[in-house]
Amino acid sequence: MNTLFKNIARFILLALFQVLVFNQLELGYGIHIMIYPLFIMLLPFEMGIISLLSLAFLMGFLVDIFSNTYGLHASSLLMMTYFRPRIFKMFSPIDGYDPIKEPTFFDMGIRWFLSTFAYLLLIHHFWYFLIEIFRFNEIFSILIKTSLSFMFSIGLSIVIQQLLYKKVKRQ
Amino acid sequence: MNNLIAFFKRFRVFLLFALLQVFSLTLYINYLTFPRNQYLTTASSFTGKILEIENDLTKHFNLSKNNQALQEENIRLRRKLKQSLYQVEGKYLKVDDTLFKQQYTYLPATVINSSVSKRNNYFTLNVGRKQGVYKGLGVFSDKGVVGIIHNSGEHYSVVKTVLTKDINIDVSIDPKGLFGLLKWNGADPKRGSIYGISNDLSIKKRSKVITKGGSGIFPRGLLIGSVEKIKPIAGEPQWEVIVKFAENFSTLQRVYVVKNLLMKEQKKIENQVPNNEE
Repeated sequence: MNTLFKNIARFILLALFQVLVFNQLELGYGIHIMIYPLFIMLLPFEMGIISLLSLAFLMGFLVDIFSNTYGLHASSLLMMTYFRPRIFKMFSPIDGYDPIKEPTFFDMGIRWFLSTFAYLLLIHHFWYFLIEIFRFNEIFSILIKTSLSFMFSIGLSIVIQQLLYKKVKRQ
Repeated sequence: MNNLIAFFKRFRVFLLFALLQVFSLTLYINYLTFPRNQYLTTASSFTGKILEIENDLTKHFNLSKNNQALQEENIRLRRKLKQSLYQVEGKYLKVDDTLFKQQYTYLPATVINSSVSKRNNYFTLNVGRKQGVYKGLGVFSDKGVVGIIHNSGEHYSVVKTVLTKDINIDVSIDPKGLFGLLKWNGADPKRGSIYGISNDLSIKKRSKVITKGGSGIFPRGLLIGSVEKIKPIAGEPQWEVIVKFAENFSTLQRVYVVKNLLMKEQKKIENQVPNNEE
């Protein structure tokens, strides 16, 4: 019950943050900060891929509605979610994941979190800019946008996670 | 039959993934090409309301700058008032004028949601069908042209700005009246390019770029920006003219929607031209 409540709170908070704060920030150089993938990353380990995909679609679509992109965010988040179990398997500890722990960087350590989330977020960002630009002669600009936005997104994801985690703990 | 069920069971994850993926990509591509559905964009009243609340909170960030711009425009308009004109001869100044008929009307609006860093940038305005805003009307600010209404909901509407790939506004470069099409290359929100100007014509830097007004969306002579650079296009007898936009789109808040009252008449007459069928 507690996990469910926590994840609903995360869903709403991350969606609101994305739509009302980060969608309005224009840093230039094609940087587009996306923090909502963090929601999918932080869902419990034992959650099935079918429910993960459905939640990803829901989240992506919500962001789409508010940013006039109409399916672009949903598509990228689905792509990332599809690879989540594979990447998690790649970085799995020897005796598997402890179901009590959560995939946050407090529970699993900064090294584990950074490596898994970096892979997932890279997939997400690359797919997003690839579909948005959709020209292979601009592959250079796709890569630049991906890497610049990626750096901002992952940094802010960690900061926001710290804020969210402390908030939940206090309750 | 059993085989089929076994197949679906085995690949159910991938099938669900593929289904959702195809669904969202189809929506995205459809929206780019045929923007008919407006329920799931910021033109709908639910999302519009939320973005309006957000805008209420953040609109003060650029307030002093916007106020100054409005004041400057007021001064410009005040100069044209009857009181500030010197009357040369009494009988020539008539208030009830029948020589001129109103062709364009304007509606003030506020930008409540905007982006400049995407490949196609859309703004959301707080006016909609209730105020008589519909698809195809022009939008401009006190400094320059902003875009064309893309779709409109009951109370909100979405503008396709000049910062979209296929905006194609017909423009003219001022002192010589050279006509071209304004496009945007998708990278720099401060600059656009004009195509369609033959490269045997010379263009001066810093000459003004204004709307041509040929399609009837904008009145003639609205400012867009100034010429910054002229580049030859390889293999084509054309210039690519780089324009620096007069408007800074990232801080834009107050805009005007322009409606051409004689648009129907223009369209009707233009439709009588026989199509060139070959």
